[in-house]
Amino acid sequence: MAAIKEIQASPGEEDRILRVWTPVLLRTILVIATVILLGGLILMITQSPGNYVRRYHAVQAEHFAEKADFAEMLRLAAGGDPHSVMTLGLYVLTLVPLARVAFCFLLFVKERDFAYVGFTAYVLIGLIAGILLGRIG
Amino acid sequence: MLAILGSLLLLAFGSGLVGSLSGLGGGVFIVPALVIAAHMPITVAVGASLISVVATSAGASVAFVRDGWTNLKVAMVLECATVTGAVAGALLAGMIPAVVLELLFALMMLQSAYFSLRKQGDDLVEHGDPIARRLELAGDIPDDSGKMIHYEIVNLASGGALMVVAGLMSGLLGIGSGALKVMAMDYFMHLPLKVSSATSNFMIGVTAGAGALVFLARGDVATSIAAPVAIGVTAGALLGSRILPHANVRALRLAFVVILILIAIEMGWRALQGI
Repeated sequence: MAAIKEIQASPGEEDRILRVWTPVLLRTILVIATVILLGGLILMITQSPGNYVRRYHAVQAEHFAEKADFAEMLRLAAGGDPHSVMTLGLYVLTLVPLARVAFCFLLFVKERDFAYVGFTAYVLIGLIAGILLGRIG
Repeated sequence: MLAILGSLLLLAFGSGLVGSLSGLGGGVFIVPALVIAAHMPITVAVGASLISVVATSAGASVAFVRDGWTNLKVAMVLECATVTGAVAGALLAGMIPAVVLELLFALMMLQSAYFSLRKQGDDLVEHGDPIARRLELAGDIPDDSGKMIHYEIVNLASGGALMVVAGLMSGLLGIGSGALKVMAMDYFMHLPLKVSSATSNFMIGVTAGAGALVFLARGDVATSIAAPVAIGVTAGALLGSRILPHANVRALRLAFVVILILIAIEMGWRALQGI
């Protein structure tokens, strides 16, 4: 139970997992997201700079509608569409908090600390509800 | 295109740097930078900022996790409140007029300025709340000499209530609400400042993530703006965290408080002109 706290001085197994693997996990997702975002920007610069300028001014005038269809965005990103590649990068970035909470959830389950399994599940559901409510809203 | 992209990256880089050096995070600077300097609508700035806050919080938490100051249990209990607030805030953001958002933003900036000026020191208590004891929220942290110091937690209910407000502001305004979160933990719940800062950083990422997901799913994140902003803010925050150990933190904070107040006045003035 006490090992769940990251503040523990004695390195228990969970403590080691938290301190060693959480930064690795966070860094990996961050690096992947940054590479995708940079890749999208470079594609945009090389392929369709005029398109970027048009979009920029449309956003300033509040005339923009991003594609909310995830499958379509993935298909376009796979085809190398710069805008969709960048959108994919933004989605990957939001995996960081999701992954961290999911990681905590698994640790609390392993510890059989059910009050905290409940709290963490609520937070995870809140994050997922954000996606669903965003689609409806 | 390169001129537009370059200025956007530079704005974001500067905001990330200042946010990191001031300890207030990038959001509180990137939103006004996009609204005032890049002439972006506030909802676009909020969406882009939420994404950047997720990125910078993740970057900073790598160091915090290794130091081991984050109290994961406190974070999870309070995060239930902030996530609820953040999702509600992000859903409401599309419906609330821009003037109201700009006014709220100005108020939050003033709160951040007040927080920066407030005397900060640990005010530990010996006995925790019955609920805090039941949830085993207390912890230990090494002091400067390496001796372990035990801390207890009180006022969980009022801290939680403030966290709902922090989450709401985060979802509405695209900021991490770090100043409000640290204040709730440090001032109301009597956690040591190091633990409050580390725990707040963990929570900021999750709260902003909840808001960002609502914005992304709704198609309200302008990718052309958010992508370069996320890269710029993260790079600025990384440089800031490198400079910070060598900087005169007190002088920097005072300088940033002045900047914060000036931006708050500008944002408030813009909002009032729009009424």
